[in-house]
Amino acid sequence: MSKTSVIRITSSQEFNVKQKVCECLLRKGPLPLHTIVRYTELSQMQVKNSLLVLIQHNCVQAYRIDETGGSQSAPKQSTQYLALFDNILHRVRFSKFLAIISQEFDKLCVDIVEGLLQHGRLTLKQIVERANSSHKEGNSIGVDAVQENLHKLVMAHYVEHCPASEPFLASPTEEDAPARKRGAKSAKIVIESEAIEQRVLAAAVPMEARRFSLVMDSELNDDGEKDQNKSPDKHVGDKRKLDASEPDIDSEAAENQVVLWRANFEEFIRRLRHKDCIENVRARLDDGAAIVLSAMLEASKTEEKKVKTASSVPLSVNSIYEEVIKSEKGRNMTFDHVRAALVQLSSPPPFVTVADESYSIDFKHIIEAAQSEEVESIVLKRYGRDAYRIFRLLSKASRLLETDKVLSAFETFKLKRYFRYYIFEKKETIKILYKLWQDDYLLMEKLVVGTATFLLWKVNKLVLWEHVLDELFHAALNLSLRVAYELEQQKEYPSFQDLISAAQHHLEDFPLAQESSTMQHPQPFNWKCIGPLRKLTLSNSIVMQQCPNEETWGCGGHMPRPPEVFPRLVLQARSSNH
Amino acid sequence: MSRLHGQKRKQTDSNSPAQSLTEHERVLYNVIRSKQDMGIWTRDMKRETNLPDNVVNKSLKVLQAKNLIKEVVNIQNKGRKHYMAMEFEPSKEITGGAWYVDGNLDTEFIQILKEQCTKQIYKLKVATLEGVTDSIRRSGVLNVELTKQQIEEIVKALVLDDEIIEVKSNGMGEFASIPVGKICYKCIRKGSIGGEPKTGAMASIPCGVCPRMRQCTPDGIISPQTCVYYSKWLDF
Repeated sequence: MSKTSVIRITSSQEFNVKQKVCECLLRKGPLPLHTIVRYTELSQMQVKNSLLVLIQHNCVQAYRIDETGGSQSAPKQSTQYLALFDNILHRVRFSKFLAIISQEFDKLCVDIVEGLLQHGRLTLKQIVERANSSHKEGNSIGVDAVQENLHKLVMAHYVEHCPASEPFLASPTEEDAPARKRGAKSAKIVIESEAIEQRVLAAAVPMEARRFSLVMDSELNDDGEKDQNKSPDKHVGDKRKLDASEPDIDSEAAENQVVLWRANFEEFIRRLRHKDCIENVRARLDDGAAIVLSAMLEASKTEEKKVKTASSVPLSVNSIYEEVIKSEKGRNMTFDHVRAALVQLSSPPPFVTVADESYSIDFKHIIEAAQSEEVESIVLKRYGRDAYRIFRLLSKASRLLETDKVLSAFETFKLKRYFRYYIFEKKETIKILYKLWQDDYLLMEKLVVGTATFLLWKVNKLVLWEHVLDELFHAALNLSLRVAYELEQQKEYPSFQDLISAAQHHLEDFPLAQESSTMQHPQPFNWKCIGPLRKLTLSNSIVMQQCPNEETWGCGGHMPRPPEVFPRLVLQARSSNH
Repeated sequence: MSRLHGQKRKQTDSNSPAQSLTEHERVLYNVIRSKQDMGIWTRDMKRETNLPDNVVNKSLKVLQAKNLIKEVVNIQNKGRKHYMAMEFEPSKEITGGAWYVDGNLDTEFIQILKEQCTKQIYKLKVATLEGVTDSIRRSGVLNVELTKQQIEEIVKALVLDDEIIEVKSNGMGEFASIPVGKICYKCIRKGSIGGEPKTGAMASIPCGVCPRMRQCTPDGIISPQTCVYYSKWLDF
């Protein structure tokens, strides 16, 4: 369900053909061209063009493998196409990525990244052309200015060189297959497909030095035409049209000077992950701890090999302090203050682990805690407070007991004792347990001992997390369908000015709608403006930007903003000339 | 509430009306008495004494009238008639313990206790179970004596409510005065006490709290386009 939901979310009417190709690849795994044609029942031209667009937008990666079988002397090579599920998913996050850039860089950088996100891949020449075409009046933007800003983005790793168009993938050896304990056949297929994707991506990615190399093209001498085979020819503003050139090219021949740039999703996700960790720590501890953690992240981020790393590289207190005072917020922190924050961060339950006077961030713990909070919040809101307590009880018990083993009879009795211990009423408890089990939040097993039957309950995080993820995708799909529906209805929306007045009026009543760290008490708020504000956001008339623990509402935006999940609502009005 | 003054054993009546019982009544009374503070269910009584129903019922009435036995509520099976000799107080198994009054959970009392415990832990920043118990006793807020085990039950309930967190001391920083490895408790929310846990992203939209997610499909009877929860959420 999840993967096809994602395709529906990210595509619209015009992309039906590409949607079909995408779905086919997602369902069946990597395929050669002729097989895709067979499955989708589209014409070869349609499939080819779709693939070109999908590759252009980094949703599909091509690669070559040796064709096995047959007694020919020379093994033939064939080209396969692999759908990149994660990259497809990132398309709904584009507005978030842009928000990150606008916080760290100036407008020209934002424009550059916006262009890269819209078009998938661009050369420097195309970036300059695009920048100038949107600046009709006044001065044109020089190549130097664009280059300088592009440099900044590449240095920060937000922009990278495009990967190889058709890397060769050698046959896998035995050691390559990752060992995992899940035995089901479907699980095995999932593991295999993940393994292929990782190998293809690893083969395609340029070497680190080249990936973020600042060497710009020596072109701007019209070498662009050499590039025709490698990537579809595009004109600015004409982003979906392609020529009909063959997609199967010898990547060795693409040794041209033209550099193709694209947004580096990995870095954006890493940044979002870091932001989330900082906010979690701020909510649990205080601003000082958040500043120190932020500095630690800054200092160690270049060493992070993969996004989902479990812990950061160890840092000494001195290097952490040096990083802290570099930042605006941490400028006035003393060494002792930093040290105290580190002690706080490493005290149980620790966000930071200490070993030999070196501190490293325990991402795993921070993220697991955040995930648990999210799921528990769903249980609380959907099933009530008692269910929330029972769910938390079973989650903790599953942590103490080995999750891979079935609860033994002895442990069952312990659990039964827990229930009485925790001041629950028995009948209500059973009702709640059944409800949670029916909705797949709990696992239940029956244990028969003699004439007595016991019911064992547990939370299996591995299974539950997948289920919640599915629900998240489903919710995202629902949200986008509803948006489309609302737009079709073309209902009238209040003017932005009306909303500003309503929001300001709200602020007059509750002036503390500011940084959450200064808020002493949760504020009740005027629900009357929430509905219209949401509608306006969904209609793309306003942009929702995220500040820590707040939503701020501002006007503007060129790109259609996909619907966002709404965090806690605290209003802060911004002026209409944002 | 007399329950708040703790549970004590009552004195046995020296002047015993038990002497004027019939044989059946005596047999029944002895059986009930033998169960002490656990009491006994009428059907079990009938099985053990082998007396016919009407005899048992009549005898029970007589014994009750003579104040030798009383009816108690068994929290595990509220529907059953449960009897106990007068001199015993119902055990924790029957009443549900300190947290039940008249067979129902005394939520008000529990709530007060929870708030007090949270306040003390917040004041102490980090507290062991003993620390909390002492602190509560010294504060004199409650006019009832609570055992350490009872405080422990309240504290564990607070952990489940995500008001406080249970950790093991590492002997450093704020845990300096607590031996390494000892279980202690910290407040989670640095702001107000007794606030709601933070609402997650999913729980903030209609789909997150919808009881019909499973039946919802894009073209079904229940669908996002026709969803009443969404309409309400957007309209206000």
